[in-house]
Amino acid sequence: MSSTLIAEDLTCNYGNLCAVDSMNIDVGNEIFGLLGPNGSGKTTTVLMFTTLLEPTKGTASVCGIDVVKYPKKVREHISYVPQDMALDVRLTGRENVRFFAELYGVSRPKEMTDEVIGVLDLAERADDYVKTYSGGMRRRLELAQALVHDPQVLFLDEPTVGLDVAARRKIWDHIRSLKKKGMTVFVTTHYMDEADRNCDRIAFIDKGRVRKCDTPASLKTIISGDIIVATIKGNFSFSNIPDIRFIGQQEDEITFLAHDGQRASELIHREVLSQGLTLHSLYVRKPTLDDVFLHLVDDNEDTRPMNMSTYRNMLGKRR
Amino acid sequence: MNAIIIYCVRDLIRWFRGKWGFISALVAPAAWLIFVGLALPVTFTDNYLAFVTPGILVMTTLSASMQGGALIIMDKILGFYNKFMALPPSRESILFGKILVTTIRGIIQSTIILVLAFLLGVPIYSPLQIIGVYLILILFGCLLSSVTTTLAISIGEHDSYAAVTAMITMPLFFTSSAMMPYSSMPEWLRIPAHINPLSIAIDSIRDVTAGLIPGQSILILVILTIFVVSINVKLFRRVKL
Repeated sequence: MSSTLIAEDLTCNYGNLCAVDSMNIDVGNEIFGLLGPNGSGKTTTVLMFTTLLEPTKGTASVCGIDVVKYPKKVREHISYVPQDMALDVRLTGRENVRFFAELYGVSRPKEMTDEVIGVLDLAERADDYVKTYSGGMRRRLELAQALVHDPQVLFLDEPTVGLDVAARRKIWDHIRSLKKKGMTVFVTTHYMDEADRNCDRIAFIDKGRVRKCDTPASLKTIISGDIIVATIKGNFSFSNIPDIRFIGQQEDEITFLAHDGQRASELIHREVLSQGLTLHSLYVRKPTLDDVFLHLVDDNEDTRPMNMSTYRNMLGKRR
Repeated sequence: MNAIIIYCVRDLIRWFRGKWGFISALVAPAAWLIFVGLALPVTFTDNYLAFVTPGILVMTTLSASMQGGALIIMDKILGFYNKFMALPPSRESILFGKILVTTIRGIIQSTIILVLAFLLGVPIYSPLQIIGVYLILILFGCLLSSVTTTLAISIGEHDSYAAVTAMITMPLFFTSSAMMPYSSMPEWLRIPAHINPLSIAIDSIRDVTAGLIPGQSILILVILTIFVVSINVKLFRRVKL
């Protein structure tokens, strides 16, 4: 797999705050998802790749071109759709796209504009003012603007935030078809389920550090076993049940991890009842990316001084 | 097409389609011309309208520039900046596009004033004089719009910018030679009126309409414009997203 995007030791500090900390990633021709909570450094990473922000340390390159040395050249190969939608509402959809076609200096702006508008299913409304567009249409129009010069790499920052389910699905359908045509798509999101369904590879980022980078399928194998979720009434106190790990309680929901979900749920059922609590529901499910992410992040949030047992734990988790 | 022109055309279309901004930009200066030019009881000249027209032209350029400065802040607040900065054209073309569109807006408004003034009885300028007046207005428009964009970039926030421009505009206008000749001013006003950049532009337009060539004033305007634009470019490059 040839690399389209490479980050080596990429670091960005805002004053004392380290927004991105020694990032090393290598993205090929794929849909690559950068996942993490708000403020984890996703946008900062995108800003560095799109030449809008200079790295404090380290290097980044797009299609083999260094972002610091040749920013203009990099910008000719990429498109960037920021998280906040910015469209001229007093212009029509077609005018908005045409404007970008001209700024990109594409050779046949009129034809290319019509083409991308068709691809993104906006032809019918192309001559209406954008102020009459729905959120999903506006996002697609922004995609059309980004695609009008046929970029090699597309950067999307939270492309589905604030959209309804149908609009989200439509956006992802478009993203997948772009990849099929050979485009590299670098997308940030905090929706784990969407990334799970659509990304080829995912990097988890938290507090500026990449915690793990792999395919969704292999990431989910980090947690081996089943997740058991029980809805109860009252305060549950976990006493040691063999082979069951207590993950946590959130309001009425308590979550466990166990190798054998069926056997464990029986044990948990018994335990809940023996504590005199009401059990509303109990079910077993496979781990999702959310679980994996929380698992990875929680471990690293430990601020206690390192001792031998945590060191052994860390070694154990590497394998 | 050049990116500066593309950015400029975008802002012009938005201005026309914004309707009320466009209408008010045309009505407000006309109102000034009529109410000030025809209503003030003055004794030093029998055609006050002809005297005050250069002043109103320059004031129109000033208010157009004040409004134009806000364009760059709005683009930043609304998130257009991020998108534009990631495009291949040089980033300065965003800035030059704003200076250009603001100047053009001022020129369109000035043209209305000029036509109206001629209709109301100001002696019509010769073609050469008209070219001279436009040259000065364009030059002064560039100077003022780069001053206001510099101001806008350094203030970086829309409400504060509007407050600052409201504070500056009126004193700047009334301490210039727009309303009266230096000889009719009270003593204390003469020095500020002489160093007021508005007066430089107004006086040069008056010179042109009197058949003189105000070489020195134009040179001062050119130097000031180059100076302010270069500061503007430096500031713009440092803008944080």
